[in-house]
Amino acid sequence: MTFHLGYGTNGFSNHRLGDALAVIADLGYTAVALTLDHHHLDPFADDVARQTDRLAARLHELGLRAVVETGARYLLDPRRKHHPTLVSSDQDRRVDFLVRAKRIAADLGADCVSFWSGVGSPDDWDHLRSGVAAVLENGPSVPIGLEPEPGMVVQWLEQALRLRTELGDPEQLRITLDVGHCVAVEPQDAAACIRQAGELLVNVQLDDMLPGVHEHLEFGDGHLDLPATLAALTDIGYTGVAAVELPRHSHAAPDVAARALRALRAARWLADAERAVRTDPNAIDTLFPAVGRAVGTGEDAARVRLLTAFADATGDPVDGLTRLYRYGTSAERRGVLRGLAELGDRAPAAGVALVEDALRSNETGLVAAALGPFATRHLGRHAWRHGVLKCLFMGIPLTAVDGLDRHSDPELLRMVAAFAEERRAAGRPVPADALALLGKAS
Amino acid sequence: MRIFDPHIHMTSRTTDDYEAMRDAGVEALVEPAFWLGQPRTSVGSFVDYFDALLGWERFRAAQFGIAHHCALALNPKEANDPRCAEVLDVLPRYLAKDGVVAVGEVGYDSMTPEEDDAFARQLELAQRHDLPVLVHTPHRDKQAGTRRTLDVVRESGLAPERVLVDHLNETTVRMVADAGCWMGFSVYPDTKMDEKRTVALLTEHGTDRMLVNSAADWGRSDPLKTYKTGQAMLDAGFSAEDVEKVLWHNPVEFYGQSGRLVLDPVAAGAVDAATGSSVLRGER
Repeated sequence: MTFHLGYGTNGFSNHRLGDALAVIADLGYTAVALTLDHHHLDPFADDVARQTDRLAARLHELGLRAVVETGARYLLDPRRKHHPTLVSSDQDRRVDFLVRAKRIAADLGADCVSFWSGVGSPDDWDHLRSGVAAVLENGPSVPIGLEPEPGMVVQWLEQALRLRTELGDPEQLRITLDVGHCVAVEPQDAAACIRQAGELLVNVQLDDMLPGVHEHLEFGDGHLDLPATLAALTDIGYTGVAAVELPRHSHAAPDVAARALRALRAARWLADAERAVRTDPNAIDTLFPAVGRAVGTGEDAARVRLLTAFADATGDPVDGLTRLYRYGTSAERRGVLRGLAELGDRAPAAGVALVEDALRSNETGLVAAALGPFATRHLGRHAWRHGVLKCLFMGIPLTAVDGLDRHSDPELLRMVAAFAEERRAAGRPVPADALALLGKAS
Repeated sequence: MRIFDPHIHMTSRTTDDYEAMRDAGVEALVEPAFWLGQPRTSVGSFVDYFDALLGWERFRAAQFGIAHHCALALNPKEANDPRCAEVLDVLPRYLAKDGVVAVGEVGYDSMTPEEDDAFARQLELAQRHDLPVLVHTPHRDKQAGTRRTLDVVRESGLAPERVLVDHLNETTVRMVADAGCWMGFSVYPDTKMDEKRTVALLTEHGTDRMLVNSAADWGRSDPLKTYKTGQAMLDAGFSAEDVEKVLWHNPVEFYGQSGRLVLDPVAAGAVDAATGSSVLRGER
């Protein structure tokens, strides 16, 4: 049993709810994070009970597991975003809304209601705590997940856990974690946060983010280590919903959701593959060739991760690297060459042999990958200069060569100048980056 | 005309051929592993050959805008040489690679017990790796060889629609059609089939499960025979759709069963020619 990949309806705010659910299910998601909003199951509508029943039937039909989200921007106040919150003086309206959300969650058979604290000051802590207590005491018994939100009174996991302790560890008060928020503000990475939350985790939001910037990004656009994050969810035995949270991407929702699922499936494959290699290093023989088909974009980086797992598990990566290269396709060989940047220092002689082999080839991809940081550190100067010259011959931009400016020397410049002279003598153009290299030196 | 040559040995061809093929409309091809003319004497020679089909040849084809795939196997002729037969031990490693869309060419040359053994083992490998199979039918005693081929395929339990039986002619097409396998015709300058006879068979048997290839190699052969057969089909009154079905959709459907067909030549070449960086996309 593993967790369920879902998508948040707040990322489909230009769709009717029914259409959004159909698109999400058709793409292959098996869960949905439903943000209650004025146009998506308005909890204040007269016929909310009937709408909820219909929606429950529809979710069942589509095979979608659900969590209820309560982050709508202007549901309670048309003028002030997110107002009122649990730290506002008119906290009651927020409590009332959250209790309505609990009723809806119960009727939908959803896992939980997710909520955040609100923007305020540390002085609001006691007021917040009594608000949370009120939400717990009223309505049906449904788990509620407190989500640390950047800039709010509870913005770190640590604070959410402390609030729970102060309330006496109520069974129904759990944790919602947005893994992007972890990148933005937490002192530890998302995987560590997941492990810390452990069995208290009741809901997960998935998105990428940059450190210090609270902006929800598509996977790959920020610093989140997605495979490691998903691996952590598996490690703690999480079986709930992990739904993509991209509330500012509604304008292109179906495409964004399709991309996100591809990235999630690729990351899940990679996380499983890394685990398999750590358990049985020989598993890399069949996983390494399959990387391209399994992850698509980011193939090289994925292979380097498998190599890292392999090197960690065996302690002596020499034979493994050599074998994978020897029996590798061009793409696999490129992966090994890229991996040398990190792992090559553990096996410099074997690494140099592979770089030399690649430089004897006539494939641009292999030659470019061979001239990475490992070659700069370990390849003999003569071979390295010939590698650079080979790039010029093959039309490989010199930007592919690691540390060219730092490491070019008079002998390389002499060779490049002779090359330029030969081209001019033949009436052929001299590559711009050859001229640039000579120009910098003069 | 959009052409997929389902059987051609580009390792033996020049860049002029690649250019002429692309100009004639060849956008994709499959290069099956076969005999090199000069007999091999070791497993290492096979391994280098497999590496070339997966690496250098794919890269070379991408330079001309052609998506290159391959089928890998121990061919029947060299299955008889004990120095080569051990390649079957490294073959599984290679069948896992991107760009491998079938097991092939397998089948019979002289119909020896060694060939029986290699054929059966490789049909089993095809099943294990979920790959379709390209079967070569012998030049000598073709009818008996084709009949025996179909028996072995039936006994293997492989679905007939996952098997392409190649180098067919007037005397062998019927039994393959009845068996439910795909039918391949190699159109040659003087041996095997020619354009006219191929068109006559297409007229008689229809275009379903029919594949036309040039099987061009190091012998006297013509990599544009697919194109020329397409022209002959048009001259004989076939529609452009019929031609596209035989020369494109049929091979795409057959090899597509591997799940590894990538019809964008740059993606199939796997690296950007200038930067050497991967350009593989998630969707194929």
